[in-house]
Amino acid sequence: MLHIKPIVSSLMRSKSGPLLLLLQIILSVAIVANASFIIHERLTMMQRESGFTEDQILSFNVYNFDPEIDNVKQNIIDQQILRDIPNVIDAASTNMMPLSDSGWMDRFVDGPDEDTAKSMPGFAFYLSNDHWLNVMGAKIVDGRNFRPEEINTRIDETGMLAIISQPLAKEFWGDESPVGKTVYQGEQTIKIIGVVEKLQGAWVDHRNFEYSVLANIDFGGNNSNKTYVVRSLPEHIADLQEQIVKVLHAENPNRVIDSFSSLTEMKNLTYSNHRLMATILSIMVMLLLLITALGLTGMVMFNIQRRTKQIGTRRALGAKKTDIVSYFMVENYIICIAGGLIGGMLSLQLGKQLMSLYSLPILPIVYPVIAVVGLLVVTTLAVIVPAVRASSISPAMATRNV
Amino acid sequence: MLSMKNISKVFKTDLVETHALREFNLNVAEGEFVAVTGPSGSGKTTFLNIAGLLEGFTEGEYCLDGVNVSNLSDNKSAQIRNEKIGFIFQGFNLIPDLNLAENVEVPLRYRGVKSSERKRRVEAALEQVGLAARMKHLPTQLSGGQQQRVAIARALAGEPRFLLADEPTGNLDSLMARQVMELLENINQSGTTIIMVTHDAELARRAQRNIQIVDGQVCDFSMYQKADHSVVAELKKVADQKQAAELNQIVSGA
Repeated sequence: MLHIKPIVSSLMRSKSGPLLLLLQIILSVAIVANASFIIHERLTMMQRESGFTEDQILSFNVYNFDPEIDNVKQNIIDQQILRDIPNVIDAASTNMMPLSDSGWMDRFVDGPDEDTAKSMPGFAFYLSNDHWLNVMGAKIVDGRNFRPEEINTRIDETGMLAIISQPLAKEFWGDESPVGKTVYQGEQTIKIIGVVEKLQGAWVDHRNFEYSVLANIDFGGNNSNKTYVVRSLPEHIADLQEQIVKVLHAENPNRVIDSFSSLTEMKNLTYSNHRLMATILSIMVMLLLLITALGLTGMVMFNIQRRTKQIGTRRALGAKKTDIVSYFMVENYIICIAGGLIGGMLSLQLGKQLMSLYSLPILPIVYPVIAVVGLLVVTTLAVIVPAVRASSISPAMATRNV
Repeated sequence: MLSMKNISKVFKTDLVETHALREFNLNVAEGEFVAVTGPSGSGKTTFLNIAGLLEGFTEGEYCLDGVNVSNLSDNKSAQIRNEKIGFIFQGFNLIPDLNLAENVEVPLRYRGVKSSERKRRVEAALEQVGLAARMKHLPTQLSGGQQQRVAIARALAGEPRFLLADEPTGNLDSLMARQVMELLENINQSGTTIIMVTHDAELARRAQRNIQIVDGQVCDFSMYQKADHSVVAELKKVADQKQAAELNQIVSGA
């Protein structure tokens, strides 16, 4: 028998203690539900597949200070030098690195008339050559890669070709293949020749993170400062830095070569704030649950001390030990469930506020439910030991003057 | 109804052994009203606790309502307490957060009595003690005498075979005490066996039998009461002298 009615009556008449506990549970549910959702969002974000061979990619910058240098020629020479290094699989110049928190964004339209054309969503805009996809390990699922003879060196040259990411293609054209379609940017026409399965951008928390376009422009030929990406097997990445500096300086010593970073390092750095946020929120949730558990245990222990004679009397009147345990469990489950219901509603309201203030997705109902279930588990763990101790109070306590 | 043979109860600590009851023998017939008196520390409460299955004993045999209850499990003891014994405590022991009706139904809930039957019994029990009109009141809204009547109603609601009353009038003034005593006498006349521990000699005299516990053993005066009043008086004097000596010890120790 659970004896819920007299327990509720008793709780209603001794308001202050249960009310404080109720408030604590309401706040705990509201905070734990939203914090858990944010933690899950962050973890999901960090676990997204980039589509790149992250541990095989090394990027670095080259700064040329010689005003006489022909950047286009030097760029071609340097890339060939890099490809000739033993254990290097491929190398390319690039205007930006994925997952780096820094890069280019752009937007095309689907027609020449600006007034009637429909705009594509914003995307990360990569500029490189026919080697780039091989360096990054990106997989073509429709169409083809650039051919060497199709590579331009300037962004305003005619004949721009583009390879786009599959999520962008699906967003704009649905199931229809975008290969062969022409898109526009001002006066320039861009022909789509391929689709890659995944091609993430630079900003990991941007809503268009999966939308990217690679254009056939060898950007390393544009100016004196260049970024290169080199692909090698993971076991050779550590030695590669020294070899790159050596071979490039051998070709032309009047330049600075620095900012070496593997894509894995870049990804870790970019996600560090999210990781920190998830860690802090996880600690906060644990502390909150611990404080709630301590509150529950403290309240039960206080109640046991206050009701020692009452427990003895109940035992004298025929309560079994399990009745006493069940009394305290039910009493605290009632507070927990009431707090959980109110806290759940509060968490949804809090979720709405967070959504409007920090552009978070709306809190799914499953999180308050999980928070309440979690608190029921915490309640069980926090109450069971003192409740069992209470059940061992002798019925003879009823006749003692305490 | 109740038969205790050679019951002994020893409380042991690392340093001392205290014999609360020794070679304790008592038989109480069904329908009897027995008053138990004795000086402080004589073992009255220990006897009451053992009789009510509130605690166990070290040696001996105890039969209650024809059942040997010497070595029962905790659950079985709880069941017998719930079904056969009604308790009335000196401090009333009502649950302050529950109203009178909820207090009275506590033992019925532990017995698993259905809601409608509980309600009927609670109303009948409170009617019997004259408090049916106040069943929604909290114990704190009642006088001491009324609270004790609620406690009696709680004991009666379970329709027990016998009642154990621990100083039922100890916290009441003389008028209230008389009312409670009359109530207990009425209950006894309806067939319920009552054992009442009391310090009040006047109340004890109203019982059918008066036993005194001295040093954990029974001194049953009733068998002499009608035969030789002088013997009874002498034995009582011995007990009173012992009580006086204890009091002196306490006073001089303080």
